[in-house]
Amino acid sequence: MSVPTSDAGELDLATAEEPRPQLKPEPTDVAPDPGAQPAEAEPDIRANIGRLIGYVSRQRSLFVPAVVLIIISVSCTAYVPTLTGDIIDIIGTGQEGELGPRTLLLLGLAITLFVTGWIGGRLMQRASQRALRTLRQELFDRVQGLSLSFFDKRPIGELMSRVTNDLTAVDQFMSQNLGQMIQAILTLVMTLVMMLLNDVLMTVVALLVMPLMVFTALAVGRIAGPAFQSLQLELGGANGYAEESLTGDKTIMAYGQEDAAIEQMTELSERARAVGSRAMFSTMVTSPAVVVAQNIGTAVIAMVGSVLAINGRFEFGTVVAFTVYSTQLQGPIQILGRVYTALLSAAAGAARVFEVIDDVPIVVNLPGAKPLDFRGGHVAFDRVDFSYVPGRRVLHDNTFEALPGQKIGLCGPTGAGKSTIMNILTRYYDIDSGRISIDGQDIRDCTLDSLRMTISAVLQEPLLFSDTVMMNLKYAREGATDEECIEACRQANAHDFVMTLPHGYDTVLAERGASLSAGQRQMLTIARAMVAAPKMLILDEATSNVDTRTEKLIQQGLTRLMHGRTSFVIAHRLSTIRDSDQILVIDAGRIVERGTHEGLLAQRGLYHRLYMTQFRGSPMGTD
Amino acid sequence: MYSSFVRLFKSFRPHWRKLLLSQLLLALAVVMTVRIAALNGRLVSEGIQQGDISAVIHISVLMIALAIVQAICTMGNSWLAVLFSEGTAHELRVRTFARVQHLSFGDLDRFRIGQLLTRMTADVQSVKMGVLMTLMMALSAPITIVLSIAQAAESTPQLLNLMVIIMAVVTCALIGLIWGIRAMFIRRQASLDRLNNVLQENLSGVRVVKAFVREETEMRKFTEVNSDLERTARAPMYRIALLSPLMSFLIYGGQAFVFAVGGNEVFEGNASLGEIVTFVNLLVASVAPMAMLAILVPITAAGEASMRRIFEVLDARPEIIERPDSSALEIDALQGRITFEHVSFAYRAEDGTLSGEVLKDINLVIEPGQTVGFLGSTGSGKSTLVGLVPRFYDVTSGRVAIDGVDVRDIPTAQLPLIVGTALQEAVLFSGTVRGNITFGRDIDEDDMVVAARASDAHEFVARLPERYDSRVARRGANFSGGQRQRVAIARAAASMPKVLILDDSTSALDLGTESRVQDSIGALMPGATKLYVAQRISSVLTADKIVLLDHGSIAGMGTHDELIAGNGLYREIYESQLGPIREGGDR
Repeated sequence: MSVPTSDAGELDLATAEEPRPQLKPEPTDVAPDPGAQPAEAEPDIRANIGRLIGYVSRQRSLFVPAVVLIIISVSCTAYVPTLTGDIIDIIGTGQEGELGPRTLLLLGLAITLFVTGWIGGRLMQRASQRALRTLRQELFDRVQGLSLSFFDKRPIGELMSRVTNDLTAVDQFMSQNLGQMIQAILTLVMTLVMMLLNDVLMTVVALLVMPLMVFTALAVGRIAGPAFQSLQLELGGANGYAEESLTGDKTIMAYGQEDAAIEQMTELSERARAVGSRAMFSTMVTSPAVVVAQNIGTAVIAMVGSVLAINGRFEFGTVVAFTVYSTQLQGPIQILGRVYTALLSAAAGAARVFEVIDDVPIVVNLPGAKPLDFRGGHVAFDRVDFSYVPGRRVLHDNTFEALPGQKIGLCGPTGAGKSTIMNILTRYYDIDSGRISIDGQDIRDCTLDSLRMTISAVLQEPLLFSDTVMMNLKYAREGATDEECIEACRQANAHDFVMTLPHGYDTVLAERGASLSAGQRQMLTIARAMVAAPKMLILDEATSNVDTRTEKLIQQGLTRLMHGRTSFVIAHRLSTIRDSDQILVIDAGRIVERGTHEGLLAQRGLYHRLYMTQFRGSPMGTD
Repeated sequence: MYSSFVRLFKSFRPHWRKLLLSQLLLALAVVMTVRIAALNGRLVSEGIQQGDISAVIHISVLMIALAIVQAICTMGNSWLAVLFSEGTAHELRVRTFARVQHLSFGDLDRFRIGQLLTRMTADVQSVKMGVLMTLMMALSAPITIVLSIAQAAESTPQLLNLMVIIMAVVTCALIGLIWGIRAMFIRRQASLDRLNNVLQENLSGVRVVKAFVREETEMRKFTEVNSDLERTARAPMYRIALLSPLMSFLIYGGQAFVFAVGGNEVFEGNASLGEIVTFVNLLVASVAPMAMLAILVPITAAGEASMRRIFEVLDARPEIIERPDSSALEIDALQGRITFEHVSFAYRAEDGTLSGEVLKDINLVIEPGQTVGFLGSTGSGKSTLVGLVPRFYDVTSGRVAIDGVDVRDIPTAQLPLIVGTALQEAVLFSGTVRGNITFGRDIDEDDMVVAARASDAHEFVARLPERYDSRVARRGANFSGGQRQRVAIARAAASMPKVLILDDSTSALDLGTESRVQDSIGALMPGATKLYVAQRISSVLTADKIVLLDHGSIAGMGTHDELIAGNGLYREIYESQLGPIREGGDR
């Protein structure tokens, strides 16, 4: 065989020993980079492809007729060489009367295989496209149901490019290769059946060459498999680097490190090119090798067939038929070889898609969960412990109470656990022990939807969608009117700047609100929270990004919003919370001080220290 | 129709010899295929039919020899096609990346990172497959059509007309099928883009989706684009599903016709059976490969769309360009006096027009070694103003100078050595803590540790198991926001620049830590000019000079005491952040 297999061993080693360009998971539970993971082992390929095909075969009303039609079409194709062999015999022996009916039969077969092949192919396409839609929808729906801890483990950008790339690979396989594969397999089977019906001995002779073809295809698979794995690995490295650098590009530019980055990228890309060339070429070898093998087969059939025809075993038309059959086997084998590489990447893509689909959300409605019955907003934390990662406790023994309508301020050093307290109140995470209740109902006994509709959060990171300002506001509550939204903007003092935008409330924002300043984004998210008209409110450092003048105006609005609603305010700037009914000072996951602003200042503890550092260098601080 | 692909292929001009060779090999392979088909006919008519074993052997050996030649040609073509396609992929990856590196901050604000990334990954991949398949298959259809007619003229001249007719039908069918299919693929691509947008927005806004319990709405939105994609994806695939049965029909229908007509010719003694068999073989060998175009068409259509998107990036003109007459400065001799003279700035939109002015006629002198705080409301232009010094943006009019030299006259490679910046968003890169602080520059261990100490990073780094060699995950995901900011400040300070800019880069630190960092940075580099952009007034209280910006103009300038005494706006900010000023204080 003329296949350059000398590289195979090398490639295998490269896969095993090439250090991964990405990091191993950190102890802090950073997700391993899935893009750089080598493709799954063989049995997983089979399982994942099987599961993908399951999506198609489940469309029974399309899939079953499609397969039946394709079988008819393929059977016609398989019968043609026998028929043409007969016709050649008829012409050769001069049976004039037989020629007309047989050629008509051939024409009939041509028409049948065309019609069945076309309709069958269409139905198969329909089934595949519907299966793809189902798969995409399932993936999306699952993502909606996942808890935030899933997203904490995976950088969003990575998840996005992963999902789109993986879906593309799966799409390509399902809409292009799957039909080809089914057709090829059926053609192989039907051709073999027809050969056996014609002459068993000649079939055996023809099959003597089959192992050569199959061996070629297998050998290519064996080389191509690992080569593709190392290609994925190198490509994962290059793409990972690109993603990281682009995300941090401003930093790279600020330090004049562009050329170093380009150099690094060139090197990684060059590696991907070297490996990629080998991987691609190794799959290209199938086709010519199969052609050679098939021609050898034709030669053997012609020789053995001629000898047998001379000895009167059959007419020479049968020999011709068998030479055509051996040609007919070539196409499907080539296609199967070609599909194999697509199958590999589809399997890898499917594995990751299924990984998401199979991920069970951690925070779910408990059986028998009831909607939260809101009766004023009395919130109680009772000896609450919590850890994000088992064994690393973030909150210890937190007990506090918020009476209906109270404003509770939370402060403390960075990382003390202020935001965490709010994450567990809205059940983005479930607590380890203790109890959190609202109006006497344990929040774990309430449905998630009812809980989160009761409490609205203005988040630390102001997230807006690339839609109009108005649609962003309406996002907070289904059925909110334009007037309500505009009023909310007035209250958050966002109205004035919105009106300066090119199309006012109909201005389309850039992705993630990039066209607005940080403060403007913040104002809009505050307005959005107002539109939601929640029963309770969480402000998570919401005002820390807004400059002071604007903040003062927002404070007015917020005060109005918080009036009569139980509210939790987390702030770096103590001025935001000095008028709270109760201030909780958090340090290292514990509530270390509690009381009003004046009371806490008088205690001269941590709160007093935090308060005084603000005035460092000013005459006030020395007081 | 394939304008971007044509442009891409034009760029292969320097390699035209290899390109020509690949296509010659392809043509030669087709010649062999057609020849083998003709030999197949002779095998039947001269060998099998005559019972002539030696002729069978003779012709078989010839066939195998031709098959080997064909295989070698095909492999040669494949190898060149792979080299070209992988080379193209490599080239596009690197060139796109390099282009992005030379964009300005303004351009980066405009492009979406996700989009840029898709272009470098998925789009490059699809162009690669397009180039590969084009080189391997595109010309095989016309070559096959021409050569099979030529072969028919040679070996079965009586049936030449029939071959011409069948090939004409094949050509028409192919053109009919492929015509308009690109438009279908473009519609499909548009649907796919919409779907990806919904998906990306949903994922990036997952916290908002959950906070407002809008999962149902999101699912509805997705269902809509998803069904739309199913519809638009079906149309081109239906056409492609027609291709293979159509070719089969042409082959077998053509055969029936040849047998019906040719059979009678044989009966009347006008033709030989061998000719008919040869013709039938030729028909199979030349029409069957046309079905392979079913693979080629979608791949090239996708490749063309991707190539166009890549060209969009490659054609972007960078805003910040080094002046040809810029000359290097003697860094050690620099004082670090910064002057803004009548500086105005407006962002440039995609079409090149200027939007409203962000900075208006700013005049400001900062003396060497001074610490200057920049305060102001949202959108007042603080970050933009300091960003003019390291040329993240270029002034629209006026001039920014360091020691009297216009920053635009300083080589772009030298500017980062003079000005150290810690940006608003503290980005860490995967690697080690050490690598993140030294960041490709020649900084020795002592300087690194000193800078880390000054930025309050040393303490937590020293507690890590491998200290400065501890691994940093992608984007520093294994560090907290405050830790990232402290490392970013250490990175800015480590090279001991003449000018240090901290652009709101202490926002995640608590007040105690922030003041500690400021004090120790001041002690570490007393000679450096330090520009601090801040949201919190407490961050700039001790500055030598506080610049108060309002709507792109300077609304006040001076020390804290001066401003408190004489600037109403400043007082207002102070009171809203830190509470009422007690009488009898400094007034």
